[in-house]
Amino acid sequence: MYAIFKREFLSYFRSPVGYVSIAIFSFLAGFIFFTQFSNGSVDIGSEVISLRSFFVIIIPIITMGLLAEDKKRGTDILYYTTPISLFSVVLGKVLAAFALFAVMFINVIIHIIVTVASGGTFGVGAVGTVIVFFFMAFMFISMGLFASAITDNQIISAIVAFIIILLTQVLSVIADYLGTALTSVAKMIGIKASPASAIGNAVRNGIAWLDPFAKTQDFRLGIFSVSSLVFLVSVGILFVYLTYRVLEKKRWSQA
Amino acid sequence: MSKQVVKNHNQTDNRADKLKLYSIGSVVILIGIILFVNILFDRIFGKALTFDFSDSNQNSISQESIDYINSLPADSHIRIVGLFSRPDNVSGTPYQYIIPLLDDYVKESNGKISVEYADLVENPGIINQLDPSNSYDLASNEGSFVIEYNGNLKIVSPLDCYTFDMDYYYSTGVYAVTNNNSEYTFTNTMNMLTSGYSCKAYIVTGLKEEGSVYLTQILNSMAIDVEELESSDNFTVPEDCDLLILNGPNVDIPEKMYVAMTDYLNNGGKMFIAVNYNIKNVGVRYTRLSHLVSQMGIVIDSSLIYENDPGYQRSGYAIDHTLTAVGRFAEFTSLPYYHGTFTRSISSYSDPAISAQSYAVLVTSDKATLVEYDDTGSLVTSDADTTGTYKAAMFAEGAGTDPAMIYVFGTTNFSSDEYISNYGLNDENIDFFRACIRDLTASKSAYSINVATKSVNDYSLDSTKTSTSLSTLIMVIFMIVIPVILIAMAVIVYAKRKNL
Amino acid sequence: MIEINNLVKRYGDKKAVNGISFTVNDDEVLGFLGPNGAGKSTTMNIITGYLSSTSGSVKVNGHDILEEPELAKKEIGYLPENPPLYTDMTVDEYLDFICDIKGVAKAKRRSQLEKIVSLVKISDVTDRLIGNLSKGYKQRVGIAQAMVGNPSILILDEPTVGLDPSQIIEIRRLIKSLAKSHSIIISSHILSEIQEVADRVVIINHGKIAAIDTLNDLSKRLSGQTKLLMTFRGPIKECSAKIRTIPGISSAVPKLADSKVSQLEISISGDKTTDIRTAVFFMMAQEGWPILEMRSLDPTLEEVFLNITEGKGRA
Repeated sequence: MYAIFKREFLSYFRSPVGYVSIAIFSFLAGFIFFTQFSNGSVDIGSEVISLRSFFVIIIPIITMGLLAEDKKRGTDILYYTTPISLFSVVLGKVLAAFALFAVMFINVIIHIIVTVASGGTFGVGAVGTVIVFFFMAFMFISMGLFASAITDNQIISAIVAFIIILLTQVLSVIADYLGTALTSVAKMIGIKASPASAIGNAVRNGIAWLDPFAKTQDFRLGIFSVSSLVFLVSVGILFVYLTYRVLEKKRWSQA
Repeated sequence: MSKQVVKNHNQTDNRADKLKLYSIGSVVILIGIILFVNILFDRIFGKALTFDFSDSNQNSISQESIDYINSLPADSHIRIVGLFSRPDNVSGTPYQYIIPLLDDYVKESNGKISVEYADLVENPGIINQLDPSNSYDLASNEGSFVIEYNGNLKIVSPLDCYTFDMDYYYSTGVYAVTNNNSEYTFTNTMNMLTSGYSCKAYIVTGLKEEGSVYLTQILNSMAIDVEELESSDNFTVPEDCDLLILNGPNVDIPEKMYVAMTDYLNNGGKMFIAVNYNIKNVGVRYTRLSHLVSQMGIVIDSSLIYENDPGYQRSGYAIDHTLTAVGRFAEFTSLPYYHGTFTRSISSYSDPAISAQSYAVLVTSDKATLVEYDDTGSLVTSDADTTGTYKAAMFAEGAGTDPAMIYVFGTTNFSSDEYISNYGLNDENIDFFRACIRDLTASKSAYSINVATKSVNDYSLDSTKTSTSLSTLIMVIFMIVIPVILIAMAVIVYAKRKNL
Repeated sequence: MIEINNLVKRYGDKKAVNGISFTVNDDEVLGFLGPNGAGKSTTMNIITGYLSSTSGSVKVNGHDILEEPELAKKEIGYLPENPPLYTDMTVDEYLDFICDIKGVAKAKRRSQLEKIVSLVKISDVTDRLIGNLSKGYKQRVGIAQAMVGNPSILILDEPTVGLDPSQIIEIRRLIKSLAKSHSIIISSHILSEIQEVADRVVIINHGKIAAIDTLNDLSKRLSGQTKLLMTFRGPIKECSAKIRTIPGISSAVPKLADSKVSQLEISISGDKTTDIRTAVFFMMAQEGWPILEMRSLDPTLEEVFLNITEGKGRA
């Protein structure tokens, strides 16, 4: 696992990908920080939570090549024919992308230092947002990795990752529309108003329950909810495992 | 050959099928486990594993509220309904500090409190369900919370839950939250409902006073219903009046009101009067008001208290000073020191014909003097010989079983919107004010739960350490220099490695 | 030692590998011969654990590739058809990474890599980006990669494909030198290449083994199939009739005939004790048809298979 981690992590810095993604992150985080700073009030928790919105841009960039490029070059055969286990390959790649995020996060640490030096506060509540930031990064990275595993084209992989992450961001909106649509459909086919809206609401709540953003929204108020973290981790693990299965499939697939 | 093909077709590939089954099966099992774990954490451990790390525990209820909830009978049920759909992102909405707090109420209540949200458009039936007689006009209270207990309702608006910077509001029209009283408001409103207590206060309006928004809030939270009593030609004090309040009138009371109030006091009425000495009322002599209170042995002077003792001055201003509670009033709060500004002197009036006993409540240091200004704001008298201790507030009590009681304050620092908006509902002055109200309504045994006001998270920077040029520097460094350096590194690395 | 037993790999209805069994002995070079699409790469991918077989077993030094994959894979160094090279790494970085994933201890790493680098002769390019190397160097880096971790078995899938002749010779030389201490399976679709390096040859076609033989036996089998291509000036029909009368010539097929030159493909049967070319020359000289060119034709693989299967059929 360490071998894969080391290679992937260093390869970010052997190519422009690592620098460019950090540059994008620095710019965006810098923008949020500057806006707050010029208003004379810096809430690091709010900054970190806002940074979640940029996962949709940054994650596809850093995950697109992780497995797609291997398949294209034919280097994936190394993972199957050397004594290394496939699962540790997947884990190594996730950790490499994760570590890149840790490097990006140095920006925020600098922001924190500037804030504290300027008489601002960095409280326990903001630490919670930092934790949730990394958990969420892990979840989205594993989604991006999965997108990278199902194709050998980096661009397709990036687009798929972009779409998956975008969809999770607008899950609540989707839930609303779907709930309303289902209610009206149910009414149309002759179900009474109250069970019809019950169906709609059930679907809405079911989908909205999956929304990671709504789940972690309150972290910026200092509310630290372990169950939200459990959700993020478990979705992350699910995608890591799916990725592993996709790789494993190559062995026995008859296609 | 064709036989061979058919044979191949029918042959099952055990190894691949087994792997496929294993693969799909393991994914399904994993999804199952994940769902189970998440539901477990979400529904069962969720509340217990949610912690409030906010800087002033904005989102959790304090021990006082927990004690109150625990004191309720196990089968009691308080239902809180928000007349709106719960926003996904509460941050930046008026509900920012309320919704998470209500969640904590539910978490701590062992089922005694339930919280739900009902959009009036989507769920119009909720109005009829809560308020069948439509006596509360819930339809016009969209966005507020309704607290229901045994069929009785109280409505709490998000605005009741905060104190705002009033100066900022008057100058910009924007509410800037200074303090968060959500827990105070909700706990006390629930207490009001569950205790079944009722007490009615009337606040006299129409005397050019400043307004009594927070005063109303405080009284409400003490389970006192508040109504305004407009000054008019046929002014009467209603029958159900348990407490009559004059909060900072800037003109004297009219004759009709004088008569009605005298009558009220003679029948054992309770009054709270707060006046002060500011530019709007320097010329006002409060003749009738003074006459009214003189029946209880108190006189409202027409001079300003000028505090000469630097130890009592606040920030070096003689007209912004510390007041000390004396006698039994010193016991009202833990420390008997309060904050007076533009304080009008209150003195006692002795007349053997008066049966009422008057007492000093708040006094100055012994180095205070009195000064007087005229209508134009110029000093009329400033007599150094008058140095001594002056009274800033007095209390008087009549004789009999249900005696008339009256508090007269020479400062509005205990009841005005302006003061409370700046200092919050937990200021020592406000605590003292509550104690006075409790004193006045003691026969009614009102009791409010003392929940601390929470200061809003303050992320502001030290303004001496920041400047426009510094924030420009920050923009340049974080948004230009660092990204450009990184891009440059990307180009260099790419160019270097390309030719290796 | 690798024991392969009744290996089958199906893709849908098609069997890419259909019941292959053979054994590779220690320190032996086994040539794995077959036309494109015969199932060579699939077989090698199964042996190395890249693919799982539909049925059958592969045992590498006693370890089953499916049951003890990690132990089995430790024994194998694999150079797939497309060498698994990270084009964005330098040779040094790449080999270091290979050491990492093969779990070569840090202490041994340096000396082992030095040995490999000098053996495959890439010491002059270790600092260069793999993407910028020539095909021959890339192939050698691929072989170096396979050798990392000191596997006892090397599996090389078409190691010379796409190389120029001098590079091919270099690689063959390299393989010969490796053969002293490794069991090697080398696949190719070119017979002569296998003849050059292998001790034993497995020939597969359509997923099945067509022949397993030592190189000597194979040569004997192929000896009957010598052909000559003769270019001359003269009437093609008469010439072909005439030439068939020479004893030891089984057929003479006209290949080309125009006003200037004619071409005949002459099949020679029987043993090679007498050189048939002398007889042809004198006959042509007698007739006054000048021979412009005469050369022997290598049999194509297809012909070899045809021959082998025909031979089997006859036997």
